[in-house]
This record gives sequence, C-alpha cells and structure tokens, in this order.
Amino acid sequence: MFLLGSTALQVPTDAGTIIYITFFVLIFFFQFAFGTRLQSYFAINDIGRGLNKLSLMKDKARKEAIDYLVNVGKTSADPTQRVDQFLDYVTIMPVDIDPAGLVGKIDHVVTTNNDRVRAEVGTLLSTQGGPANAVTVSISENLLEVATALNQLHKIVRHFYLLGKKTNSYFTLLQLQMLMPMIIQEADALLNATDSFKMGQPVGDGIGPVVVSKYMQGKEKRVIAKDTVMAITEYKGRKLYVLKADGPMAYVGQPGVAIKKVIEEMGVKPSAIVMIDAALKLEGEKSGEIAEGVGAAIGGIGVEKFQIEEAATKAKVPLYAILVKQSLIEAITVMRKEIAEASDKVAQVLNRVIEEKTKEGDEVLVAGIGNTLGVAQ
Amino acid sequence: MSQVPGTDKKTKLLVYTIEECPACGQKTKRAFAVGDYVTKDGGKCTKCSNQTKISLVYAENSKPSR
Repeated sequence: MFLLGSTALQVPTDAGTIIYITFFVLIFFFQFAFGTRLQSYFAINDIGRGLNKLSLMKDKARKEAIDYLVNVGKTSADPTQRVDQFLDYVTIMPVDIDPAGLVGKIDHVVTTNNDRVRAEVGTLLSTQGGPANAVTVSISENLLEVATALNQLHKIVRHFYLLGKKTNSYFTLLQLQMLMPMIIQEADALLNATDSFKMGQPVGDGIGPVVVSKYMQGKEKRVIAKDTVMAITEYKGRKLYVLKADGPMAYVGQPGVAIKKVIEEMGVKPSAIVMIDAALKLEGEKSGEIAEGVGAAIGGIGVEKFQIEEAATKAKVPLYAILVKQSLIEAITVMRKEIAEASDKVAQVLNRVIEEKTKEGDEVLVAGIGNTLGVAQ
Repeated sequence: MSQVPGTDKKTKLLVYTIEECPACGQKTKRAFAVGDYVTKDGGKCTKCSNQTKISLVYAENSKPSR
C-alpha cells in the first residue's frame, strides 16, 4: 500500500517530462492509426519500381522479337502489329470439373496452339523463294514465347498492384511486395534467354539432347513424332532406341508420343526406359551435379509425362531418370561450362545404368529431354 | 566473340565452341560463331588432319568488369 501510494505520488509535473510523454503517446497513436497506411505507401512505391522494371523488360523482349523477325527472318512487311496481336493471344484450358480424359483435351488444345504459332510465324517469315529456314522459325517462336510470357507477367503484377491501390488492401500489396524480388528474377531470366535464342546457342535445358546426340551421330535418323527424331544403335549387346527433339532447331519435340509409338506401334519391348533431363536445383546445390532416380524425367504441362508413364506402366517397363541440376536462369540461357562438361559424366552414368539394369540382347529406350536449340544429332 | 550478361550482372559470359577430333580425341577451343551447333563439322584437326566435329558449346564467366 505504501509503495503504491509512493508510486502514485511520482506523476511528473514539469513541462519537459510532459512534452516527452506526449511525444511518445502521439507516436503510439500515429503508429496505431496510420501504421499500415504508411507501410502500404512503402509497398506501393516498391511494387511501382518493380512494375516499371517489368514494363521495360517486356518492351525490350517485344523489340528483340520484332528486330529478329525483321533482320534475320527478313519479313517482307512490318511485323509489329502482328506481334502485338500475338502477345495477347490466349490459350483457354479445357474444363476440369470432369477430369476423365482431361490430358487428351489439354494435349489437343496445346497442340492446336503450337501448330497455330508455327504456321503464323512460318507465314510471317516465308520468302518468295519458299518456306523459311526451320531454325529461324523455331527461334522466332521461342522469342515470341518469351515476349508473351513477360507481357503476361507484367499484366498480372499490374492487375494486383492497381487492385491493391484501389481497394487500399494492405495485405494484397504486402504479398505482392514480398513476391516482387522472385518475379523480377524470373523476368530477368526470361529476358536473358533472348540473347541465347537469337544466337542459336544451346541452353542449359539442352543437356539431355547433348548427351544422346553422341549416341545418334553417324546413325540413320527417322522422324518418330512431331519435331522428334530417333536412331537405333548398339551398346554392349543391347539395342538402343535413342530419341531427342529434332535439332539444331529450338524444339522440345513430343517425346511422349514418340515413346508411346515405339512401344505400342513398333512393337518394341524395352527392358528399360532411361530419360535424361535438366532439373531445377535447390539453392545451395551445385550446377552440373548429376542425380539419378526413377520415374519420368520431363517437365512441362504434364501431357508428355502422362503419356510416358501410361505407356511404361502398360508395358511394365521400368523408368530410370538421370538429372543434371541447374538454376532456372541457367536452364533457359546459354549452357554454362559446368553443365556442358557434365555431359561426359552423364554418358558414363547412362552406360552404367544400361549395363546394370539390362542384359545382353535386351532393347533399351533412351530419351534426351529438353530444348534442342544448337544441338543437332 | 559472343558475349551475354552473366547471372549477377557484374560478369559477362564468353561463349566458346569446342571442336573434337573423332580420330585422335584432340579438343580445340575457339570463340563461338553464329551458325555453330553441336555435331556440326568443324575444321581440320591440328594433330592428325582429320575432320573435327563440334562437341560442345558453352559459356564461361569472364573477369568482372569494374
């Protein structure tokens, strides 16, 4: 009681102390009343800066695509208007409330889109002397894809930025602000990819095709699916069916259709399917590291993976995977030394897998998965 | 020589083409030229005069620019 009484008596009365306390009370009040508004202001500024960067990037990618079409593709007319229409073209995915047969529908829509892109670019680049060079067409397709992706990314970020501003939604802005560094990193990777595409240089994702091209050299090649070629070769008494996308064009081919065709139509009974692909590394992992595993080593929308898994399951063929680790930027820009030099080690791993998992007289299917720009066979 | 920006923007990547002789295995490194691709015929081997083939195209970091 005595202590409480003495504490109560210690209320300051001098002006300095009162100003001091009032100052802290005001700060507390200000923080309480306007804190989130202040943070929203900083978030808006931050996102705005990122959005400007994205806008510059998408404009640059668009310009690069147009310049390539004009300078290398030698288009007869100005392609600007056509390219702008291209950037806003949408692919409507099939309804998924009844998932039965969904993969087939997605495949149909995606194939239709790819065919349309190829046809339009081909028309744009066709010269009086005949059809345009396949490498130029494929590079143009990839450049337009990059420009479209950046355009879409910019639109989505701008949408949430304006929505957050309009509704004064602190949490919308905060989430976008947190994601911005990763979005910019991805956009940067896409923009850097245009340099490699224009020059026709192999990209990190092309490590699978680089490895299998060694097995296909000097052998007769046949087209097994759209943009996909196959060669038959031999390794230590095993018959190898080696396939990859048709290079040196910037194609990824249709390995799913190809593997299905080899097993179901050609009647080949492989003892193993070995797939070689690039895989995204986790932070801290080294580029060019090799990982082995089982399953279908293929990315993308999932159609090819489904087809391969289905064909392998039906025929009861084990699926083996050899992966080369790399970051996203390394996967879509010119192949780095450490990734390229992993190709010899991957070939050794592939030989070992074939020797361990199959026996003489067996048939083995080997697929090099990835963009085969700058890698022929 | 083909130069592209590196991942950290401070470095430039220099792109090289590796030509390998299928007969003696000699490897030659030269600057990438537009039109080069893996498996394309290269020049004559400096050791045994056989036809070389391009075995790799890759990029290396150059020294950081100041």
